[in-house]
Amino acid sequence: MNRSGSRTVRSRATARNVAIALLSVAMLVPLYIVVVNAFKPQQEILLSPLGLDPATASTQYLQDAWTNPNFPVVSGYAVTLLLVVACNVVAIGASVPTAYVIARTPTVLFRVLLLFFVAGMFIPAQIILVPAIFVLKALHLMGTLPGLVLFMSSTMIPFTLFIFTGYIRMLPRSLDEAAAIDGASQQRVLWRIVFPLMKPIVATAFILNALSAWNDFVSPQLILGPGSSFRTITTGVYAAVSSYTTNYEIVFPTLLLAVVPILLIFVLMQRHVMSGLSAGAVKG
Amino acid sequence: MLGRRGARGRGLMTVPAALIYVGLMVVPVGYAVYYSFTEYNGIPSQTPQWVGLENYTRIFTDPTGDMHSSLWVTGIIAVVGAFGVNVIALGLALLLRRTTPFTAFARAVMFYPHVLSALIVGFLWQAILGPQGAVNNLLTGSGRSALPFLSDPGWALATMIAVIVWAQLGVQLVLYLAGLQAVPADLQEAATLDGAGKAQVFQHVTWPALAPTVTVTIVTSVLSLLKVYEVVLGLTNGGPGDATQTWAYEILAVSFANNKVGLACAQAVLLIVVAGILSFTIIALRKRAEEGAEALS
Repeated sequence: MNRSGSRTVRSRATARNVAIALLSVAMLVPLYIVVVNAFKPQQEILLSPLGLDPATASTQYLQDAWTNPNFPVVSGYAVTLLLVVACNVVAIGASVPTAYVIARTPTVLFRVLLLFFVAGMFIPAQIILVPAIFVLKALHLMGTLPGLVLFMSSTMIPFTLFIFTGYIRMLPRSLDEAAAIDGASQQRVLWRIVFPLMKPIVATAFILNALSAWNDFVSPQLILGPGSSFRTITTGVYAAVSSYTTNYEIVFPTLLLAVVPILLIFVLMQRHVMSGLSAGAVKG
Repeated sequence: MLGRRGARGRGLMTVPAALIYVGLMVVPVGYAVYYSFTEYNGIPSQTPQWVGLENYTRIFTDPTGDMHSSLWVTGIIAVVGAFGVNVIALGLALLLRRTTPFTAFARAVMFYPHVLSALIVGFLWQAILGPQGAVNNLLTGSGRSALPFLSDPGWALATMIAVIVWAQLGVQLVLYLAGLQAVPADLQEAATLDGAGKAQVFQHVTWPALAPTVTVTIVTSVLSLLKVYEVVLGLTNGGPGDATQTWAYEILAVSFANNKVGLACAQAVLLIVVAGILSFTIIALRKRAEEGAEALS
């Protein structure tokens, strides 16, 4: 009886592993299709979508996608990276002092202030973009990178501030009080003592904000405008692909150029991305 | 200890965040509310014309018969999508619960679509499931007939929901995995020792203990499904006809694109109000389930 029991346990484990393997393969099939078809001419993509014939495989289509004027790959990546860094600097830089003050001042006023900021988490960014465009126009920031950075940062501040406040509340107050008694100014206490202790939560905010900035399409498309000289990866892909969705010689290589770097970053940072996300959610 | 100067210093430290947040999120909400009562084509030299509730009556009576279908589409995506995402993510979380190199790999595989832009996900699946796409070429190549994944209204909506589920299940999976770690292991062991089957352990121990996680996953998935836009743009561009036009698509690609700023703003205000009411309702309804979870731990 014991033996058959361990056998069913083992066969159950095998069945589970087979199921996991099959599901993983199913999740990866779309990616495989992009990769193999990025090296094939249209005719072959249509005839055998899953195969790759080494005799006719060519990097020609990738080269064409690379030089496609609609999607300037290098500058697209440069602009996107700039957005990722700039939005994070603004959102984190503005959130740290505010979160510190809110966390360290237990009055009703500051509790209401926190709620006021947190309410922004329930406002979808792309929905508020239409009226935000009129604010940016009034500030003469429409069509500019600073305008785009400010708008995207404003949508990141509620969540960033929220998780920072929760984190600072867990840091012992005695630390900054001791420093204050020693005569350190508030700014000094914040940036020299509290901020270095916030490293894990800053990393979480950075990763989540970076993902949303990297993948945002609506904000750069509407704020910079479709005719802008600045393209991000997403607006570049849209310009290159949206009118040619059945020209697979363009679609697949362009998509490959757009997904490979972020997937490589994900593979390298996978643990941080996923644990950051659950840390953010537990706080949230 | 800090005195007045301290208080003023504290106030000043909130200024940068408040300025950006108020300027680009709170003021726009105000603008949206104001414009929603006007007719305005968005041209700076024109002034918005006050029309009262006209934009809202237009949304509710839908005289041209094009808006209510977007409400339905969005509602179906929110309900079916949230259900699908959460059931699949919870199932996967139970399957991938133990941490081994193999499950760690599988978790990353389930998660990767989330790091891709929704627009790119849309284009990717359009190339796979379109009339000329990979799957239909395989079907016709093997002598079967093609399937109208994106060309039949009913199919297109179902396909879109499936694509959204594919793209979003990873996030909810991570949340469920985190939630499962908080389930008291001794309780599960005790229940198993008392002779409870796997289903019973799940029903009486695991599921109640997951209650706070379930609240978070439902709220986050519903909120993100209410604003689905980019995947529509890539996958179907709202078609065929208006079968996959979501409310966000209606706001950005129909009203705003046609310079109906007043109407777009009324639609935006409606979405924000609905999102807010839904979130608070779900959180309030989940309160009781969460109290059960606290009693467990």
